Amino acid sequence: MTNDLKYSYYPGCSLHASAGEYDLSTRELFKHLGIGLTEIPDWFCCGATPAHNVDELLSLSLCAKNLELADSIEGDVAVACAACFSRLKTAQHILGENDVKRKQVETALDAPLKLDGNVKHLLEILAKDLGLERLAASVNKPLTGLKVACYYGCLLTRPTDVPNLDCAEAPTIMEKIIEAVGAETVPWTHRLECCGANFTLSRPGVVIQLTNAILDAAKAAGADCIMVGCPLCHGNLDIRQKEIEKVYSTSYDLPVFYLTQLVGLSVGLSPENLGLGAMIVSPFPLLTEKKLMETSLLDSQVSLPGIR
Amino acid sequence: MIISQETMDVDFVRKVEALSDTSVRRCFQCGKCSAGCPMATFMEHPPNRVVRLLQLGQWRRIIEGRSIWYCASCETCSTRCPNKVHLASIMDALRKLSWDADGPSKESYVQLANKLFLQNIRTYGRQYEMRLAAVFNVKSGQFLKDLMLGPKLLAKGKLKMFHSKNKNLSEIEKIFSRIEEMRKNGKAL
Repeated sequence: MTNDLKYSYYPGCSLHASAGEYDLSTRELFKHLGIGLTEIPDWFCCGATPAHNVDELLSLSLCAKNLELADSIEGDVAVACAACFSRLKTAQHILGENDVKRKQVETALDAPLKLDGNVKHLLEILAKDLGLERLAASVNKPLTGLKVACYYGCLLTRPTDVPNLDCAEAPTIMEKIIEAVGAETVPWTHRLECCGANFTLSRPGVVIQLTNAILDAAKAAGADCIMVGCPLCHGNLDIRQKEIEKVYSTSYDLPVFYLTQLVGLSVGLSPENLGLGAMIVSPFPLLTEKKLMETSLLDSQVSLPGIR
Repeated sequence: MIISQETMDVDFVRKVEALSDTSVRRCFQCGKCSAGCPMATFMEHPPNRVVRLLQLGQWRRIIEGRSIWYCASCETCSTRCPNKVHLASIMDALRKLSWDADGPSKESYVQLANKLFLQNIRTYGRQYEMRLAAVFNVKSGQFLKDLMLGPKLLAKGKLKMFHSKNKNLSEIEKIFSRIEEMRKNGKAL
């Protein structure tokens, strides 16, 4: 498939480590769909939550620096991580409105700001730039019968005037994408609740409590799996799932996919190229049960190494 | 501590308002922020009370407690406020002012995690998760925290020993030092 879509790509720190499969599946999916991605050379950490928590000026400066670096590459800025996406959009919003802060950031960078890059989450690129029709047309293995709980978390849609990805309280962009590739979605209560995000390092007890409520709600709604667009949500829902099951003496067994992994499956990409082996809660029993993967492949897939 | 004229400090509140670019006076205490806050159960002062204390100039009560450090920055409060009080930004401002004052907060783990996170950015330009977690465990004295996750994550390729290096490191150091300079000269809060 050919199209003229080209982006500069800001992967963010997690995608170079704990969320390597998100990076891999994003690159593979975009290559398959003919969408150009050029990684921003020598990008910096956006500062994430810790920077704006205690030093907003630093957070704004780091984001402005990244936008300046992105400016050298043709196309809008594609961001995979919901936290990076939120920080970059917030910086654009604040620096566009507040002249005092803008001057301070100019001094910190010692350069005029280049903030015009259009920052887009992968969801927007798939649903709006590529478009749902073209996405649906590229599907060759529809995810028929798979019931997906779409989990937005906090930063993709909040606060109202900043990300402008979708409605802050009742978004549908994830559901539209995954339905376009043949899956079913479940209505559920915790799509927009917080998982505890970066408390995973400092106060894991908080994360266990909040994330348990999310897993519980997804299970109660009859979902087979959860889909996310954020490596922090993924870390809490997937990596901590076994621990949560133990604490609450329950069993969820809900694979947590990145949106690019599920869409990737539907266009026929292989489990290796989507990093499915890196998921802590194995998706392979579910995928074979739903006939989305050859049963004969099961043994070799289960022992698939993670991402390299 | 009792609420009185003596414990009232309006200058501090002005700083909070300047940093957060929002007005605490717009709040009429509907409580919607606290109703939707996922972290309110962990706080001694729920979000609406934080704003009320600010309105009364009683900021010491806030920064002596753990409420501001237990805010997850999920932005639910700012999204739902009928009066456009940007509470998530107020929380940022309070944490910053408390951080600068080496505030007498009861919550040390969150502060430690933030400090290490920022140090990593200054040194490496990016966040190296494994290093961050390891140093956090050592410095917080919780050597066994999440130890069982380690081998699993390593086997899955999720913990990286080596990272692609950022060749632009002098740039990041310049940004940090220019900000420090600005603060020293009183040109930024």
